[in-house]
Amino acid sequence: MDPRSIVKSLHPLEIKVLLHYAPGDGLDSGRLAAELGYLEGHANQAQAWLTAKGLASETGRSSKSVFELTPLGRAWLESGTPEERMVAFLAKNGPSAMPAICQAIGMEQKDAGSAYGRLSKEGVLSMSPEKLVSIADASRSKRSAAMRALLSKAAAADSGILGESDLDASEAALMAEVAKKRGSGDAAFRSAERETVTWALAGEAAEVAAILRETGVSGDELGAVTQAMLEDGSWKGAAFRSYNIKSRPARLIPGRRNPYVQFLESVKDKLVSLGFEEFDGGLVETEFWNGDALFMPQFHSARDIHDVYYLAEPTKARSIEEPYLSRVAATHENGGATGSRGWRYGFDREFTKRLVLRSQGTVLSARQLPKASIPGKYFGIARCFRYDKVDATHLSDFYQTEGIVLGDDVSLKTLLGFLEMFAVEVAGAKEVKYVPGYFPFTEPSVEVHIKHPVLGWFELGGAGIFRPEVTEPLGVSVPVLAWGIGIDRMALMALGLNDLRELFSYDIEDVRLRRALVR
Amino acid sequence: MPKIEVNENLFFELVGRRMEAAELEAALETAKAELDGWDADGPADGRTIKIELNDTNRPDLWSTAGIARQLRVRAGGAVPEYPFFSREGEARPSEYRVVVDASIRELRPFMAGFVISGKAISDAMLRDAIQTQEKLCSNFGRKRRSVSMGMYRIDLIKWPVAYKGADPDSVSFTPLQAQERMTLRRIVAEHPKGKEYGHIIADSPVYPVLMGADGGVLSMAPVINSADIGAVQVGDRDLLVEFTGTDMAAVCLSANIVACDFADAGYAIKPLRVDYAYDTPFGRSVTFPYYFQKPASVDSGRVTKLLGDNIGPEAVVEALARMGVRSEAHGQHVRAYPPEYRDDFIHAVDLVEDVMIGRGMASFAPERPRDFTIGRLSPVESFTRKAKDVMVGLGYQEMIYNYLGSGKDYIERMNVPADGVIRISNPMTENFEYVRPSILPGLMQSEAVSSKAPYPHRIFEAGKVAFLDETQNYGTSTRQRVGFLCSHQGADYNELAGEVAALLYYLGEDYAVEESDDPRFLPGRQARIMVRGAGVGFFGEVHPAVLENWGVTMPCVACELDLESLI
Repeated sequence: MDPRSIVKSLHPLEIKVLLHYAPGDGLDSGRLAAELGYLEGHANQAQAWLTAKGLASETGRSSKSVFELTPLGRAWLESGTPEERMVAFLAKNGPSAMPAICQAIGMEQKDAGSAYGRLSKEGVLSMSPEKLVSIADASRSKRSAAMRALLSKAAAADSGILGESDLDASEAALMAEVAKKRGSGDAAFRSAERETVTWALAGEAAEVAAILRETGVSGDELGAVTQAMLEDGSWKGAAFRSYNIKSRPARLIPGRRNPYVQFLESVKDKLVSLGFEEFDGGLVETEFWNGDALFMPQFHSARDIHDVYYLAEPTKARSIEEPYLSRVAATHENGGATGSRGWRYGFDREFTKRLVLRSQGTVLSARQLPKASIPGKYFGIARCFRYDKVDATHLSDFYQTEGIVLGDDVSLKTLLGFLEMFAVEVAGAKEVKYVPGYFPFTEPSVEVHIKHPVLGWFELGGAGIFRPEVTEPLGVSVPVLAWGIGIDRMALMALGLNDLRELFSYDIEDVRLRRALVR
Repeated sequence: MPKIEVNENLFFELVGRRMEAAELEAALETAKAELDGWDADGPADGRTIKIELNDTNRPDLWSTAGIARQLRVRAGGAVPEYPFFSREGEARPSEYRVVVDASIRELRPFMAGFVISGKAISDAMLRDAIQTQEKLCSNFGRKRRSVSMGMYRIDLIKWPVAYKGADPDSVSFTPLQAQERMTLRRIVAEHPKGKEYGHIIADSPVYPVLMGADGGVLSMAPVINSADIGAVQVGDRDLLVEFTGTDMAAVCLSANIVACDFADAGYAIKPLRVDYAYDTPFGRSVTFPYYFQKPASVDSGRVTKLLGDNIGPEAVVEALARMGVRSEAHGQHVRAYPPEYRDDFIHAVDLVEDVMIGRGMASFAPERPRDFTIGRLSPVESFTRKAKDVMVGLGYQEMIYNYLGSGKDYIERMNVPADGVIRISNPMTENFEYVRPSILPGLMQSEAVSSKAPYPHRIFEAGKVAFLDETQNYGTSTRQRVGFLCSHQGADYNELAGEVAALLYYLGEDYAVEESDDPRFLPGRQARIMVRGAGVGFFGEVHPAVLENWGVTMPCVACELDLESLI
């Protein structure tokens, strides 16, 4: 790498090493600790980073025995070794029996036994024929003094660790007696083999160091801008360390909207901007609103058990709103007052109460008719349910986008005008064509096909003018344009997906990583 | 929606000329049909074109001749004439006669038919007739219940033929696809077609049969033909085509459609007189094919209003002619005579649509609406968006889930009772048997499949839930709710409580919490959210038993809030 770009990515820990040492100087963590005041971890980081940049390399490894002060050792230092506590107890209470000593100073019998053994060997304690322990010679506890000195020395060392070279002969002998290997919890010191790596700066380091000197970088530049420095003005005239802006930032997991829901909302916003008011409704419907009010005969093949989900309990609504029920029934039977000849069959007033899961969004359009304003424009994006095998192109529940336009003035030509607006504004189409269509509740009916920049020609939706058999029983006598647009394919494309099931993904990471490619 | 296959040669012969795919596609639009496939392989006379028909009220289009006729006439061909039709008070002389016995009246009362002759039936026409029989009787005839069709070799028939109810156990014949004579009852019980269609007649004391004067059975309607008289083959001449059913107009229309198809293909149609022992909507003695349709009328003012172009009565007549509909103007009124093969003018608007197609979609220029209306989102949507903004601000990822699921996920795994949950009586699989009563199961399922997604997890969904509710007319309620769940090592009640407080603060509500004992949450670490004295939601630490049910091993806290009750 170019030395000047290396310079930009150096951390102060590296800079100081580069400025202090020449290539070939033998370095290890001890030396950096002694000469640069580095903690062991910092010394290791400096070595690792410089090595990664090709500015340093390892020259050797040696292992040495080290002794680490254990939590027990620290506790002894603070509240006394077993020997010290035993002597202190006896000094205060006079000759005592062993069990009483153990209980008073909170020590197990065997530990107390060992402590007594060592002290009696030194002649500090003795035991009477009555098994009472007493102080024989308070001045002669040399071992205790040496032990306390060793504990204090270790506590003062970096991380409570003493190396072999830190100990003189008598200390080493004592250490060998008291230290235990890793895993033993009842010793004051834990002994371990510690590896020391020696390393040296490479030749290239000299060039980098030269650039550092030339540009005046010392490694003492300031890191963070702190509140204190802003308050006392100490930032003035100080240099701030440059960061490596090329390093990969940490991943954040932000709070975020779901791209599919946002897509649906963008369609809603478009329709609102075109003057449509949103309607909504319940998921459970009656056969009346789901089919009868839409002039679909009760024997229509789309109303079969294999197309609509029925509720297990309750199975029927208590009642259907009048006068709509009577009017719709008459319209099916003989056209009622609509000028139609009807479907000419006996309308089943029990069947019409049957509860189903809404199977088409047009249900909400029909429900809106009795309360609609004239002129009026309404829409809804409704969750609908179909008896379909779930696969990449079919879901058991999904959204349909539907709407109506009421007005004394509306006609097929205004319907085509709306479809054109949807094609251009909602779907981003460049070319639009209309062909005759068939829907049970509209006449005339048309389909709108669009040429999408990516998907090519496809059917965007269906539309028509509601049959008088639909509108008149619900109290509307002006023409009502009804339309439905299929936005699932556009949604898939906008999200870069090709399986409808992925729109409703449970996988959190999938959804987190999903981007909306369009819009 | 029916899909048919047409023989390429026969089809283009009937259309009057050949077409390329693009042209055919455009022409099919005038029949609300789509080109579904064109088998380019095979010998020229064996190639087929697949067509999908979208209009379920136009069964006349579900055959080669029918769809060809629509295209031919729409392109300027003459409106065809079918002089063999009898009309009210004008029966055509008939050589053939069927006598309908009173015994059939309650079961399958109506019968129509005719004889085709003049040339031997070709392979293409026979295939087409079989296809017509299938499509017509299955879709339009409601799986043979209201209309069924049969074809017979006329040289084996002794006239007059009787259509009557016969004793299921004493009458027998050899049905197609069988080697021996079987009683009617045995056919219904054992024959493949008997198993498929026998249920239509099985409960009746008598079964419907067509029987020659010599006692020979032609068929048992609507199930199966006899293996001799009823076995039609390529090369046969002079065939009886009959229809039986429960709806006179549908039976008659079906006969008319097939008669016109054969006439278009160059066959002679000979009338058949049917004498009923009882009254029918068209009289006691009816000679078929019979023109039963009534004139329909439309005001040219209505055409103008609905289509948006000024279309006078003459223009209406002209457009209808291009759809094969004869009509005449009387002032502003146009009286139209439905073609023999159509009966779909239920309302004047049906004529309006034919005018639209007759004039062509391209003749209608899209027009911007003139009415001014104010658009707005529903109150539920607006309020929900407010809640979503706060959730995103709190660091939550929005999810969206399906509304149908299993009892295992919605009930068992959540440790809640099944009462109150809406169950579907005809689920396709048990995976989609219930409507979700809460947003929590979706959130838990996300946790169950997302243990590899870096923590913390903060997810929410705003959407509908539905549940049983006796106070409602439908016995159910649908509510808009927001649910959210947070999962990580230290997820606890206090963290969640702070978020609930923030959400409700920004939704503008003062709230209180009450102790609750929801089995989904740990006792003592859950609360009910009270606004103006009513419970509007709940939150807490998800019970380890629920986590275990979902196989989740990270602590979760969750909340659900009814947005609609805060609006």
